[in-house]
Amino acid sequence: MKTATFRAEVQAQLEGIGQADIVVGIPSYNNAHTIGHVVRAVQAGLGKYFPERKAVIVNSDGGSSDGTMDIVHASAIADFNAILLHHRIEPVAKIALPYSGIPGKGSAFRTIFEIAGILDAKACAVVDSDLRSITPEWIELLVKPVLAGGFDYVAPLYHRHKFDGTITNSIVYPLTRALYGKRVRQPIGGDFGFSGALAQYYLTKDVWDSDVARFGIDIWMTTTAIASSFKVTQSFLGAKIHDAKDPGTDLGNMLYQVVSATFALMENYADIWQPVHGSEPVPAFGFEYSVGLEPVNVNTARMLHTFREGIRNLSGIWREILGAGDLDEVVRVGALPDNDFYFPPGLWTRVIYDYALAFHHKTMPAEHLIKSMMPLYVGKTASFILAAKDMGQQQAEAEIEILCMEFENNKDYLTRNWK
Amino acid sequence: MENFFNLILEPLDQLFMRFKMFVPNFLAMLVILLLGYVLAYLIKRFLVKFLTAIKFDSWSDRMGFTKLMRHGNLWGKPSMLLGNIVFWVLLFLTLMSGLSALQIAVIDALVSQFFSYIPRIFSAAIIMIVGFVFSRFISRAVLIAAANSGFHYAKLLADAVSTLLLVLIVAMVMEQLQIAPVIVLAAFSIIFGGIVSALVIAFGVGGIHAARRIIEKDVLDKDKEETKDEIEHI
Repeated sequence: MKTATFRAEVQAQLEGIGQADIVVGIPSYNNAHTIGHVVRAVQAGLGKYFPERKAVIVNSDGGSSDGTMDIVHASAIADFNAILLHHRIEPVAKIALPYSGIPGKGSAFRTIFEIAGILDAKACAVVDSDLRSITPEWIELLVKPVLAGGFDYVAPLYHRHKFDGTITNSIVYPLTRALYGKRVRQPIGGDFGFSGALAQYYLTKDVWDSDVARFGIDIWMTTTAIASSFKVTQSFLGAKIHDAKDPGTDLGNMLYQVVSATFALMENYADIWQPVHGSEPVPAFGFEYSVGLEPVNVNTARMLHTFREGIRNLSGIWREILGAGDLDEVVRVGALPDNDFYFPPGLWTRVIYDYALAFHHKTMPAEHLIKSMMPLYVGKTASFILAAKDMGQQQAEAEIEILCMEFENNKDYLTRNWK
Repeated sequence: MENFFNLILEPLDQLFMRFKMFVPNFLAMLVILLLGYVLAYLIKRFLVKFLTAIKFDSWSDRMGFTKLMRHGNLWGKPSMLLGNIVFWVLLFLTLMSGLSALQIAVIDALVSQFFSYIPRIFSAAIIMIVGFVFSRFISRAVLIAAANSGFHYAKLLADAVSTLLLVLIVAMVMEQLQIAPVIVLAAFSIIFGGIVSALVIAFGVGGIHAARRIIEKDVLDKDKEETKDEIEHI
């Protein structure tokens, strides 16, 4: 073992702590200006909802150069009375350590799982370090279903702007739901609760030198929990507002990371998803309430331009993946005027299934394959935005539900062609 | 009189002696050819079956070899083509070995030259295959990246990259095979230099206004994007 938990100073800290009921992990990389708020929210949550439980906050850092770990050590709630809390019986221990292994969120999580194992934690939660909207209640909502409800995995439920999370809404959620039959609305939410047993189960998997360590840990955790028949639930956390993403983050790379991780899991769990038909709701905790969300500006003209340039330039590649019939349909969609532009859910479903099959049959290098999907995804997103621009949140959600049903109803096509 | 007969018989005797020496060599050649043919045929059969089993044809489709074959008016399966190539190469090697069994000085020299040329053919073939796969990979990466950024001439750009790489590869192959190396080097320098010079002139002089417009538009678009596109995809 070469992980961070086996360093002498970490060992000494862990021996000093001995045992813990709850471990809350915060993976980070240069999040100095947001992590303080996250640590304080977690401390308040543990103090308010689990005052008798022994808890540890673990910051698993990717080698930040902006003093992220110093902020974690320095962050504490100055006045518990101000948030209507008495001091905990026992202060929350904090461990901030740089993780070892391949750089990425997955390696950070591995360290958290290992610490949870060493401390024999009963429940764990992980929250992103760039969150601005996290409240103490998040800790209750992510941990309590495990400690009190007997669940093994708690996925988040957020209120997000109807135009946000489009990779989740148009690919990951419908596909995961159709494949594994569980309606986990935010499979790549980033903030999760899970049992100590599930954390140890994750560690038994030989994925820590693969892309899971770099990216794709979120979908891997959700899919592994569902496919391995752990008890899964969801908790409504409210709005998810986090630090603005690095503008240099390329959409193509983002799409590649998420979609390749999802497709790779299809290979691992083919025997499990193939016999599944339809889907069932997953129980949800938390009090659902409306959230005022900031308006989101989108440039649909630019999106449609990208889609049409894709048709012009990538039709040779698309023909190999989609076949002539669906390519003709895509070309027909591209020829529609901007005001009438509409990417039919049935066509989109076939596009995703054809890409999954091409990934399975290794039609071309995975990165080329998935990045060639980008203009199609952008076209689909533009279509959704145009259709949903005057819709309320519920109507927009109903549109996503229609897409999910298309994925479920057409699953036979995927299963039939998966050899 | 006896001398006269000797004069006649001696060449005949020598001819007979040579014939006697030649016949076993000739028979050896025939045996080598026959065995070589049978062996080459069996190897071809085995190779085609093996390639079919490992789905070489699908791989060739993906790598673009099949498309390249169709361009060259070859309509069989790639596995069969490779089997045929191996068969004919083996048959050719058998023929060379068979001819060397004749032990004729001129043919021996030719065979020796041929065998010393084989490493060059082999390395040229490797350069050709690896170069083709590499050029295809790079041109597809360029195509996808350019198309995803909304570049109108993405396909043209990818084709240009592919052509440049293929020119480079063909020059390397010719150089490896020592086929008119001076002419190849000169032709390559002229073609490659010409293309680069044409691009420099096109963008540096002829297309200066167009280039300015493209750059300005790009900058403006980026400004627009920063102020307008706020969608979070994940």
